[in-house]
Amino acid sequence: MRSFTPQKPAIAVFAGLALVGALAGCSTPASDSAAATTGAPSTSPSDPRAASTYKDGTYTESADYQAPSGTETVDVTLTLASGVVTAVTVQGHANDPQAKLHQGQFASGIAAVVVGKNINDLQVDKVGGSSLTSGGFNAAVEEIKADAAA
Amino acid sequence: MKRSRQTLRPSQRSHSLSFEAIGTGWQLDTVEPIEPALAAAIADRIEDFDRTWSRFRADSLVSRISKTPGVWEFPPDAPALFDTYRRLYAATDGAMSPLVGQALDNLGYDRTYSLRSSGSAFAVPAWDDAIGWDGHALTTVLPVSIDVGAAGKGYLVDIVSDMLAAAGHEDFVVDGSGDIRRVGPTPIRVALEHPLDAAKAIGVANVGAAICSSATNRRTWGDGLHHVIDATTGLPTRAVIATWAMADTALEADGLATALFFVDAELLAAEFSFSYVRMFANGTVEFSPNLDGELFT
Repeated sequence: MRSFTPQKPAIAVFAGLALVGALAGCSTPASDSAAATTGAPSTSPSDPRAASTYKDGTYTESADYQAPSGTETVDVTLTLASGVVTAVTVQGHANDPQAKLHQGQFASGIAAVVVGKNINDLQVDKVGGSSLTSGGFNAAVEEIKADAAA
Repeated sequence: MKRSRQTLRPSQRSHSLSFEAIGTGWQLDTVEPIEPALAAAIADRIEDFDRTWSRFRADSLVSRISKTPGVWEFPPDAPALFDTYRRLYAATDGAMSPLVGQALDNLGYDRTYSLRSSGSAFAVPAWDDAIGWDGHALTTVLPVSIDVGAAGKGYLVDIVSDMLAAAGHEDFVVDGSGDIRRVGPTPIRVALEHPLDAAKAIGVANVGAAICSSATNRRTWGDGLHHVIDATTGLPTRAVIATWAMADTALEADGLATALFFVDAELLAAEFSFSYVRMFANGTVEFSPNLDGELFT
């Protein structure tokens, strides 16, 4: 069950999502080293002319799925430039974020290369990560580095 | 040793209590100040927890258990932790185990942080071959090195949250170095820290209860050596480099964040209610469709 935001042409959205799949499928050799840090556009190696038939712009698709708590929605926004996907954003709108998922629903998570944004540019309350690790551990690593340099 | 402070948005929770405990930084953000007596009680409670569970303390209960088999009485905080571990152990087909302490020691993640591998993988004993848990006592048939590092800190975040709530606090955040419990009327926005660049985030999650994360890159001390051990091989995991799990409790979120290194999420979804994000070594991310938040991809 899918719905589209009214101002967007549905055909282009489908084409765009197909393109995302194609990029995800064939980008491995090119993006291995740069994957984690770059959001630079990559080109589709298969048929550039086919890609160029998509109009530049930003497209949004909303997808609904059934959770035990009711209907949940996820929005996928992607940006096309010169027929190439340059950005994908996924926004979840879980009514019940802890809704228990059934098997198979996890498969719809998109495996896309992630792009880091500066935390200072985000309006957030907290940072969830592991950078503040144990002081003892960090001290030990520093000691080993010093030993290795001696 | 710490990253520079990130710029966070202004908060109604204007009172903040920061301290070091179990070797890491804690921050409790509250609307009303935390009374000194409550702060002292929290410190005592954390010390009690550490005295039971710390593998790195010679006087801890788990250190004594590691030396000789026997029947060991545990304090009242033990059942929730053992039960959660048992569920995770079953859901991961034995990969996630509380019996990885010796494997971590052998790899150098030991009491003295020697960070020098003994060169051999340790065969982690199967749960039912080594220990029996009856709800309050643990029977061990051989010396076992219990390590609850994969869920223990999350559980401690829950315990501290419960103490704040019991004292009348209704709007607060407990942050145990990135393992976070939110209690209050509105969710908080939590940046998902990029595992390769602490100044950046790969997304933002709206968290109304608990979020915990795990990443292998931050505690790495040699080629392929880190602290997330697969109990079926005794060796560190490789393909997944960071995970975030959101659940009703930090205990479950912490355990799930580790379990997501071992198995795909659908295996865990049969047993636990959660949402998640995980990132792989090739820079791609995977997330659950019930994720409340956004990813920058």
